[in-house]
Amino acid sequence: MPHLAIDHLTKIYERGKVLALDDVSFSVDKGEFLVLIGLSGSGKSTLLRCINRLIEPTSGRVFLDGTELTALPQRELRRWRRKIGMIFQQFNLVKRSTVLANVLAGRLGYVPTARTLLGRFPREDLERARRALERVGLLEKMFVRADQLSGGQQQRVGIARALMQEPELLLADEPVSALDPATSHSILKYLEQMNRQDGVTVLCALHFLSLARRYGTRIIALKGGRIVFEGSPSEIDDAKFKEIYGEEAEQVEVR
Amino acid sequence: MERKQSRSRSAEQPPIPLTARVLSFFLDWSIWGYIAYGTVYLLNHYWYVAYIDWYGRLTLPWWGWPVVVIATFELALLSHSFGHSLGMRAMGLMPAAEGLDRPALRKRRLRHFLASHISIMPLGIGVWASPSEPWHERLSGLRLVRLPQREEWITPPPRWYRTEWGIMTLAILGLTVTLGWHVTGIHLRVLIAGAARPARLWQGLTHPDFTFLIYSDPWLNDSIVGALIESIFMALLATIFGAGIAFVLSFFGARNIMAGSLPGLIVYGLTRGVFNIFRSIESILWALIFAVWVGWGPFAGTLALFIHTIAALGKLYSEQTEHIDPGPLEAIAATGGSRIEVIRYGVVPQIVPPFLAFTLYRWDINVRMATVVALVGGGGIGRLFFYYKDQLDWAKVGAIIVAIGLVVWLLDYISGRVREKIV
Repeated sequence: MPHLAIDHLTKIYERGKVLALDDVSFSVDKGEFLVLIGLSGSGKSTLLRCINRLIEPTSGRVFLDGTELTALPQRELRRWRRKIGMIFQQFNLVKRSTVLANVLAGRLGYVPTARTLLGRFPREDLERARRALERVGLLEKMFVRADQLSGGQQQRVGIARALMQEPELLLADEPVSALDPATSHSILKYLEQMNRQDGVTVLCALHFLSLARRYGTRIIALKGGRIVFEGSPSEIDDAKFKEIYGEEAEQVEVR
Repeated sequence: MERKQSRSRSAEQPPIPLTARVLSFFLDWSIWGYIAYGTVYLLNHYWYVAYIDWYGRLTLPWWGWPVVVIATFELALLSHSFGHSLGMRAMGLMPAAEGLDRPALRKRRLRHFLASHISIMPLGIGVWASPSEPWHERLSGLRLVRLPQREEWITPPPRWYRTEWGIMTLAILGLTVTLGWHVTGIHLRVLIAGAARPARLWQGLTHPDFTFLIYSDPWLNDSIVGALIESIFMALLATIFGAGIAFVLSFFGARNIMAGSLPGLIVYGLTRGVFNIFRSIESILWALIFAVWVGWGPFAGTLALFIHTIAALGKLYSEQTEHIDPGPLEAIAATGGSRIEVIRYGVVPQIVPPFLAFTLYRWDINVRMATVVALVGGGGIGRLFFYYKDQLDWAKVGAIIVAIGLVVWLLDYISGRVREKIV
C-alpha cells in the first residue's frame, strides 16, 4: 500500500471558473522525496493544499495510509493533519509573535484546546520546541519576534514548527522561492535531513529544475493542472524540459 | 462634439442595459427639477413674495405643477438630445457622433429631440418596446454608446468644464451654494455688526477664575479637579468595558472570519448592522436615555459612552481583523488547529497591537465626549461647565475650559506616544 495516494483529483475554482487541477493521479511511497515542478499557476500549490484539505477538491480522493482524507469530517481531519507538516513560500509565521510561540503552534493539534487557549503548553512541548529550534540552529532567537528574523531564519522557524508535529508527511509549497540561492540550499538540506534521518516523506514544490534534480528522488511535472512528466530526475532532458516549461524557457542553474 | 468622434477605437459594443438608459434620463429630469425648484425659490426671495397660503410662499396654482413637470421633462429631453448630459455621464454613457459634420449632427439631434416625444413621453413606450435601440434613436440615427475606458482613448477627451455635464455640475453647485446661503440664514453684515456683543463673555473667558479649582463649590459640592477626575474615570471605565465587549463582537463582524457559511454571513451582516446603527446614535442621545433609566449622574454618562464605544471600536476592530495576513491562519489550520485555535494563535497576535492603539485613541475621544454628555445629565466636568454657563459666570467657565484643554492635550500627547510605541 502506498503511503500517499492521489486518485483522480480535480479542482475548479468557482470564482472565475479556473480549472486548477485536472484529473491528477499518482502515489507516493514512504520515505520518498518527491519534487513537484511546473510554471507558476500550473497547480502545484493547489495540489499540496488539496492533500491536507486547506483547499477542498472539487472531485477525486486522497488516501493517507489507506485512510480517505477527503471523506473525513472536520474533527477527524484535524487529527490527521497533525501527521502532515506544511511549510510555505511566505513562511506564514505570525510576525508579531515570538519565535517560540510560532514553533509551539505546531503542537496545537496535540494539546487540548482548553489548555492552548490559555497559552499553557505542557512542559515536554517546551522541551520539544527547544530541541526543534536547536536543530535548525535558532535556539538563541527563541524569544525574538518573528519579524526580526531574516527570510532564511523565518523559514527555519517554519521547519521547526513542522518538526513539532512529528510529521510522517511534509508538504513544502515552494519553500525557497522567496530566498537567495545559498539560503535555498541550507533550507532544502534541512528537508533532506528530515527525509533521510526521520523517514519523513516529503512533497516539495520547486521552481528550479537544478534544485529538483539535486534533492528529489522522483519528479512530477505539472502543466495547466495536468501531470506531464513523472519519473526520476535524470530522465528530464532538453526536450522534456521544453515541454514542461514551454519553448521560450532557458535552464537556469542554482548552485 | 466633433473632437469626440475619434475618441476611441470603435469596437463591437454590448448593448446598453435598459436600467442605465432609464436612470440616466431620470437623473437629468430630477436635476432640472432641482434647478426649477431653486430658481423659483430664489425668485420668490429676491423679487416677489406671494403669500398665497398662510403656510407657504412656494404654492403654485393647481395648473402650476403639471406645467413644471412638463417643462422640466422638456429640458431633460433637450439636454439628452443636444449634448453629453450629466445623467449620461453618471451612468457611463455618451452620445455617439462618429464621422459627422456639424450641420448633419445638428439635424440628427433635432430629430432625436422630436422623436423622443413619441418615444419617451408616453411612458417611455419606445424604450420598453425596443430596449436595445429605442424608437427615438432608430428614427434619428443618434445612438447612445458606452463611455470609453481610459485605455481605449486615442485622443485627449475634452476638458471637463467644456462638456455639457461639466457645465451642468458647476451650475448645480452654484445653485446649491446660493440656495444654502438663504436656507441657513447666513448674514455677513450681522456677523460683523454683532462682534462686540460677546465682549463680557470674552472678558470672562480670558480672565479665568480658579476659585474652585481644588476647593468645592458649595452649591455644586464639587471642584474642577474633582469633576475632571470623575470625567476621566467615566471615560476610562466606558473604554475598558466597551473595548472588552467590542473585542469579542469584532470577530463576528469580520468578513474573513465569518465567510464560508451562510449563517456566518448572516451573523456578520447583523453584527455590522448593529455597530452601524449604535454608532450613528450620538452619545448625547444615549446619555438622555440612561439619565432617565438610571438617574442623572456619572453612571448615566458612563453607560452612554460605553454603548457608543462598543459600536465605534467594534467597527474599527472588525476592519482591522479583515486586513490581517491570511498566511498564518492557513499554517495554524494545517497543523491540526481547530477554528478557535486559528483565531487564538493566528488572528489575535496580529490584531492586539493595533487594537490597543485604537483603544487608547478611543479613550482620548471618550474624555472629550464625557464633557458633553453632562448637558443631559451625564455628570463629570460638564456638569460644572453647564451650571456656570447658565449662571453666565464666564470667568469660571473659562477656568473649566482651560482645565479641560490641558487634560485633553496631555492625554492626546501621552496616548500618541504610546501608540507610536505599540504599532
